[in-house]
Amino acid sequence: MTGSTDIHDYLAQFDDIPGTRVFTAKRARQGFHLNQFAMSLMKAENRERWKADERAYLDAWPMSEEQKQAVLDRDYNRLLDLGGNIYFVAKLFSTDGLSFLQAVSTMSGMTLEDYSAMMVAGGRSPEGQRSIKDKY
Amino acid sequence: MARITAGVASSHIPALGYASDFDKTSEPYWTPAFAGYEWTRAWEAEQKPDVVILVFNDHASAFDMNIIPTFAIACAEEFQPADEGWGPRPVPVVKGHPDLAWHIAQSCILDEFDMTIINEMPVDHGLTVPLSMMFGKPAAWPCRVIPIAVNVVTYPPPSGNRCWMLGEAIAKAVASFPEDLNVQIWGTGGMSHQLQGPRAGLINKAWDNAFIDKLEGDTQELRYIPHIEYLREAGSEGIELVMWLIMRGALGKTTRMLHRHYHVPASNTAVGHVVLQPEQE
Repeated sequence: MTGSTDIHDYLAQFDDIPGTRVFTAKRARQGFHLNQFAMSLMKAENRERWKADERAYLDAWPMSEEQKQAVLDRDYNRLLDLGGNIYFVAKLFSTDGLSFLQAVSTMSGMTLEDYSAMMVAGGRSPEGQRSIKDKY
Repeated sequence: MARITAGVASSHIPALGYASDFDKTSEPYWTPAFAGYEWTRAWEAEQKPDVVILVFNDHASAFDMNIIPTFAIACAEEFQPADEGWGPRPVPVVKGHPDLAWHIAQSCILDEFDMTIINEMPVDHGLTVPLSMMFGKPAAWPCRVIPIAVNVVTYPPPSGNRCWMLGEAIAKAVASFPEDLNVQIWGTGGMSHQLQGPRAGLINKAWDNAFIDKLEGDTQELRYIPHIEYLREAGSEGIELVMWLIMRGALGKTTRMLHRHYHVPASNTAVGHVVLQPEQE
């Protein structure tokens, strides 16, 4: 036994973590085509077609309009809300020439400079960041 | 007979691979992260393992969302470094050990672990960064590698307890392989990090170091940590640490810690690295 083995209890816990989207089956299903689109950018010839006309490239995928707009806006938090997974979304920001540090900083609402300085100083403290309900 | 002589744990942060590939390891930002691996490089040069069983996770490189194996073992003759979107890492081709890999696969399945078998797979930074950290930049990797890929991306990943048990089954399989081989098992990923959302950048030094402490000796506490604790304490990507428990489980009842290293940060992540030896019973 390692914690709950009731799938409902197990999943319910994940909504209590501040500022975090856990990549559950529900999100994996919602984001399937979004993540497969991002995966397609692993191929150089696809990256060229993508860069030539982003909208036309997206329209070949059965994604929701919200998902397409969030891709065009490079709104990574929104992409995660709509079922994107960070390792797949990474294909998108890598194609833009961004590092993980650069892309991740935009999700935290901080400037790259402030975010980098926080990391060098030891990272974001877990204090008060563990649970919404219990505030610890 | 083949035998598992040591266990190694290490983060597999892509930025470490970048620093190695582009000769940035003597820059002040990178020096402390790499310094903690010098002991291990000298030790590995003496140990000369024949085979490393390397537990890692694929980061949307070999696997997309079509197929999500919980535990997969790769049995190929060789594995090419993956193109993760900016060209493959300039590192040697990874040579497999199909005889031992197939032996472990069959043995684990008989032992009730339903392994996925992979015959062709590009390997991403999750596998090649630990090789760079332990061996530097040789013309060819000095050992054979059996990749074991674990799903830690789509929930639920396997429990820590299940990972520990798989380690035990792997150790049993290795011990019944007739060839005389010096085998190490490496668990990779972690330590605390979160690559997403407003909580991005979370690092928990106290929790990470308590985790490292419990890899030594005969405590089994780590196998009972629930996923929710990893998520709360070590960040959304800290869940990768369950892969260290496959390594720990393979080392038997008691371990001795030969080396430990911890540094923050490398990019978004806490670097953790440990060398363990199974204690003779």
